[in-house]
Amino acid sequence: MSLALSAGLLPRFTSPAAGTEEPVEAITEEAGITAEAGQRLRVTPLVAEGARVAQGAPVAALRDHPAIRLVAPMAATVAAIRLLPGSVLSEIVLFREAGGDRQDHPLPGSDTAALRATLQNAGLWPLLRRRPFGGMPGPDERPAAIFVMAADTRPLAPSPHTAIVHQQAAFGRGLDALGQLTDGPVYVVEPAGTELLERGRAGGRAVALPCGPRHPQGLAGLQIHHHRPATAEAAVWDIHAEDVAAIGTLIHDGVVPETRLVRVAGSALRQGRLVRTQPGADLRGLVHGYALPGAHTIRTGSPLDGGAAHWLGPRDRQVTVLPRQGRPGAAHWFRAALTRSSLPLPVIPTAALDQALGGALPAAALVRALGAGEDEAAVRLGALSLLEEDMALADYVLGGEANLAAQLRRTLDRVAQEVAP
Amino acid sequence: MSRGLWDRETVALLLLAALMPMAMLWLWYGGAAAFGRLWLALLVAGAWHLLFMLARAQPPSFAGALSALAIAMLAPVELGPLRLALGISFGVIAGELVFGGWGRNLVNPATVALAFLGFGFPAAPWPDLLAPLAWAAIPAALIGLAAGVMPAGVIGGALAAGLAAQAAAPLPPGIWIAASVALVLLVADPVASAGTRLGRWLNGALYGGLVILFAHWWTGAAPVQIAVAAALLASLTAPLLDEAAIALWLAQRRRRLGQS
Repeated sequence: MSLALSAGLLPRFTSPAAGTEEPVEAITEEAGITAEAGQRLRVTPLVAEGARVAQGAPVAALRDHPAIRLVAPMAATVAAIRLLPGSVLSEIVLFREAGGDRQDHPLPGSDTAALRATLQNAGLWPLLRRRPFGGMPGPDERPAAIFVMAADTRPLAPSPHTAIVHQQAAFGRGLDALGQLTDGPVYVVEPAGTELLERGRAGGRAVALPCGPRHPQGLAGLQIHHHRPATAEAAVWDIHAEDVAAIGTLIHDGVVPETRLVRVAGSALRQGRLVRTQPGADLRGLVHGYALPGAHTIRTGSPLDGGAAHWLGPRDRQVTVLPRQGRPGAAHWFRAALTRSSLPLPVIPTAALDQALGGALPAAALVRALGAGEDEAAVRLGALSLLEEDMALADYVLGGEANLAAQLRRTLDRVAQEVAP
Repeated sequence: MSRGLWDRETVALLLLAALMPMAMLWLWYGGAAAFGRLWLALLVAGAWHLLFMLARAQPPSFAGALSALAIAMLAPVELGPLRLALGISFGVIAGELVFGGWGRNLVNPATVALAFLGFGFPAAPWPDLLAPLAWAAIPAALIGLAAGVMPAGVIGGALAAGLAAQAAAPLPPGIWIAASVALVLLVADPVASAGTRLGRWLNGALYGGLVILFAHWWTGAAPVQIAVAAALLASLTAPLLDEAAIALWLAQRRRRLGQS
C-alpha cells in the first residue's frame, strides 16, 4: 500500500518569477551560525573573536558531544560569538575574508567509525535530523532507516533536482556513505516519474519512493509516518538530497561544499531569486536590491513554517519575504474577558484538515489527542514520526488558531522526558 | 501572514450556507408559523450562547443557528412556545455549551433537543415534511461535500444503506423524506459524527440501517420520529466506531510494517 499521490493540498503563495532559471552564485559578506529554530545547542567555542578561520574549519563544538563540530561556511573573520546563559548558542557571526583558505578534512576511507568522525568534524552532522523528537542525532546512534528527501513540496521551495543535477556522482557516493550508517533501508523520496536513484546504491538497500506534487507529501514526516514510523527505540533520520551530495563531496574531495541552493521568494519582492549561497547566509544581503519598497519581514524557511530571522537556518533552503503586517493590537479588555477562556477554539474535522495531514492518518483523532494532551493516544497514532513542520500546513489551513505545532512539541517533550533514561 | 480560512466559524457559516436552500423552501411552504418557530429557536439558542459568553467566557458560534434551524424544522408541532423553548434550552445547554461550545460537544445539540422533546411530550404530533424538502437536501449535501464541511463517508454510507434496502423492500416515501432531511441536518455534522474514514462510512450505514429497522418494525412511529431516533443512536455510537476504525488501522499498519 503506498500513499495516494493525489493526497494533500497546494496552498498558493504569490511570488514574482526569478530572472533566470539557472541558479546564480551569491555569497553574502556576513554569515551567522545558529541553531535550528526551537533547538538548544550547548556549545564550546573553539576560536576567539577576531580570529581568522578557513572555510570548513571548526569554530565550535557541542558541549555534550565534543566530537560534533560546527564549521565556518566561508573563509572569514570571527566577528562575534554570542552565547546565552548555559553556553547555549545564540549566534556566531562571521565576516567574509576574500581569498581565504579552505580546510582540508582527512578522507575516511571505507571505515564506518572514520566516516562518522569525518562527518562530525566537518560540520555535516547537523544536516542529519532524527525522529522522534527532532534535532541532530547523537554521535553513535544507528538509525533503523534513513530518508533522503529528493522532493520538496513546500510552497515556493527550490527543486532538489536542480540542486543535485550536476552532482550525481557525489549524490551516489553520499548514498553509499549513508548505507554505512544504518543497517536498514535508505529511502530516496523523489517526485513520481523522475529517476534520480541509481540501482544498487547504499549496499543495495536504497529504495526509491515516489511522491506526489502536493504538500505535505514532500515532507519527511509524512513519508516516515507511512513507510517506517520512528519509535522511541528505533530512530529514523532524514536528510536533504543536496546534503547527501555534500557528504559525497566531503568523503571524496575532503572539502565541505561552499554553497547550497536557496530560493528567495515572497510577495514583497520585486523579483525572485534562485541562488547558490553559503549556509547561514545573511538574509538581508540576499534580499537587498530585490525587495519592493515598504516594510517587509524576512523569514528563513517556507511561508508556512518559516520564522523571522537574520541568518539562513541550518537546514533551510528557502527565504520568504512578506510585507510586514502591523502587530495585532491587544484585544479590548472586555472582549478578551468574554472570549479568551476557551482559546484556542476547537478544530472542526473537515476534509481540509484530512488533506492538510496528507490523508494518510486519522487526522481528527490525532488533533483531538494533541489538544487533550493524551500522549499515549498521540504516540499510538504516530506522533513520534512527526515534527513541527509537519503540522505547519494544518495550522495554516485552520486559520492559525489551533497551534497544532506547539501542541505537538509539548507532547513530544513530555514523551521524551518519559522515555529518557 | 496570510492564513487559511478553515477555522470554526467559517465551517459553521459554510454549513449554514449549505442548508440555506432547504431552509428557504421550508419557510416558503411553512409560512408565518414556520417563521415563528425559527424565530423562537434562534432567540432561545442565541440567548444561551450569549449567557455562556458572559458567564463562562465561551465565544458564541454561528453553530447555534444551525441547531436552531434543525430544531425548528423537525421539532414536534403543537407544543406551544414554552415547551419548545424548554426543549431547545436543554439541547443547546446539555448537548453543546456545557462541553465548552461547538467543536467540543459529543452529540449534535439539535438531536438532543429533538430526542428530549420526543420523549418528554410523546402526545405532540411530529411534523409532516413535504417532498420538496427531500429534493432540497440534495443541493445541501452537494454544497456541504464540495466545501468539505460535511463528512462524505457519512452521507455515502447512509445512501448505500438506503439504496440497498430500497432494492430489497421499498420504503415508504415519507421515511425517505424524513431520513434525508435529518441526514443533512443532524447526522452529517462534522463534529458529532465519526472522525475516521472507515468510522464515517460505518456511522452513515448505521444511521441508514437504524432508519430501515425502525421503518419496518417500529409500528406507530412518525417518519421524523424514526429519523431522529436513528440519528441519536448513530451519533452516540460514533466514538465506538472511531475506536474500532483506529484499532483496525493500527492492526493493518502493524501487519504492513511488520512491527510488533
